[in-house]
Amino acid sequence: MSRSLPQMVADPADVSSRDGGGRLRLPATRGWRIKETPAAWLLITPVIILFGISVVYPLFDTLRLSFFDIKGLAPAKWVGFGNYVTLFNDATFRNTLLTTLIFTLGTTVISVSLGWALAMLCAFAPVHTTPFRGMMFVTFGISEAVSGYMWLNILRPDKAGLLNAIIGNFIPGFAHSWLGDPNTALWSLIFVASWSGVGLPLMLCFAAVQSIPRTVLEAAYMDGAKPTSIMRHIMMPLSLPGVRVAIFINLLGALRAFDIIYVMTGGGPVRATETVGYFMYRESMTQFKLGYGAAATVVLLVAVLVISIPAIIQRTAGAK
Amino acid sequence: MIGRIHWWTVVLVGVIATIWVIPVLGIVVTSLRPPSEVALGWWRLDTFSITFDAWIRVWDEYPLAQAFWFTAMLAALATLGTMLLTPAAAYAFHFLNFPFRRLLLILIINAFVLPQQVVVIPLFTLWRDLKLIDNIAAVLIPYVGMSFAWSIFLVKNFLEDFPKELIEAAKIDGCGPLSTLRHIVLPNATSPIFAVGVLQFLWTWNALLLPMLYLRSMQPLPVLLTKVSGTYESNWDLRSVAAIVTTIVPLIVFVIFQRQFAAGSQTRTGAKE
Repeated sequence: MSRSLPQMVADPADVSSRDGGGRLRLPATRGWRIKETPAAWLLITPVIILFGISVVYPLFDTLRLSFFDIKGLAPAKWVGFGNYVTLFNDATFRNTLLTTLIFTLGTTVISVSLGWALAMLCAFAPVHTTPFRGMMFVTFGISEAVSGYMWLNILRPDKAGLLNAIIGNFIPGFAHSWLGDPNTALWSLIFVASWSGVGLPLMLCFAAVQSIPRTVLEAAYMDGAKPTSIMRHIMMPLSLPGVRVAIFINLLGALRAFDIIYVMTGGGPVRATETVGYFMYRESMTQFKLGYGAAATVVLLVAVLVISIPAIIQRTAGAK
Repeated sequence: MIGRIHWWTVVLVGVIATIWVIPVLGIVVTSLRPPSEVALGWWRLDTFSITFDAWIRVWDEYPLAQAFWFTAMLAALATLGTMLLTPAAAYAFHFLNFPFRRLLLILIINAFVLPQQVVVIPLFTLWRDLKLIDNIAAVLIPYVGMSFAWSIFLVKNFLEDFPKELIEAAKIDGCGPLSTLRHIVLPNATSPIFAVGVLQFLWTWNALLLPMLYLRSMQPLPVLLTKVSGTYESNWDLRSVAAIVTTIVPLIVFVIFQRQFAAGSQTRTGAKE
């Protein structure tokens, strides 16, 4: 102590100076400062290597491959924007874009509006509806592949399918192949994806409604507001931040959907249920057109980045 | 809520929730009733009996047990990898200064928006050239590497509320950066590390696309399930058992950790509130 004290006085910069992060620099922490950077690199090097291999490299390689014509193991041929030109002249791909749009908007609108409505209903009896919220949230914990399988059972094309049987009660002899008919296959998928995804918007919106200050609700109640007007004028506007998060998560989830399509329809019938995320798999992994598949992936990537702009700005600003 | 309980909302939500679990009930009942009874529908009660026949036969019909242990091993290894590397990196990003710190951080935490389709083609060609197809490293590397995009964000968020005084005290007492991590931060950050582990476990257990493409001889449960579940196959009883076996472990984990999962998936794919 007696030895370090004069040293502190002799080096006033060391006592009072603050580094860039505003941290007080004390001489006793000099050992820390010397070891800081090597220690940091030691801790993050494995992360950087793994992240580089599985995120950064694929990102740039997908972009690079999209400018080449690659079929199977044949040597790659540079085609510039050729793949993109072919892509947008391909009637199948244009149909895929439309399918993606319907699927993404359909699942998001259905699951978020249903989740939001249920969250507000639950807010009128938060304790008594706890088990029911749990039941609906559980479907969110079942993997997409298994959810799809469960619905194959309900949507069976013959009378052993529950949906056909229920409609058959009203229209005798009714039997519809829900997933075999191009007109109903996509909406069946949208419904199943919403079924499996509604738990998250429900929980997010319920948390948003619950976080409305009690005093606000009490004041409205004392002023004689009816439950419907409390819902309309207090709960709906004040839970919007939660709804916004739920919409964003659902949009991202629907754009990257693969499992549920693969299990339920395999993209069929006649490619009527292929989204861009499925199209790229089919072109690159079953037709082995790697460059063409990569170009489709880039289109998917652009869509994802566009809807993520607000989230990316927010995260980047918050990264200290 | 204020005032009396609105019973009509309880009833309404209850009815919807009951409808919601019917498909789940469907495969459980299908797996437990003899196929002859359910030929016209699993809900029919013309005759009713319970049999565990499908539950006994399925293990011989499909390589289900093998796939179960393989899935468990993959999920355990990937979870372990993420749980070991994430806290260390989050600590370095939050408490240590090093060149390019902020740039790397921004890159990693924004990668959460990327869909898994991005890795499919590049890693397929890379693993093919490196002869890693059918090696478990081919899926473990992307499982762990892609997890950092959300796991580091989650743990770093927790560290933002970590008392700085503890770190300063450790510094002054002569702790180096590594021993501070070991003795101060890790013992006090078990809850976010555990939450990261649960999320990673669920994600890797349920993964379908990457193992389907990069593994050949051994395949995890979701891939096996898709192989046996073409629409026009019979054996609904056997396949229902396979579906239940596929989902039972992650479902139990999910139910136990519901709360963390709701919080975690929010940071995983969404913005912080």
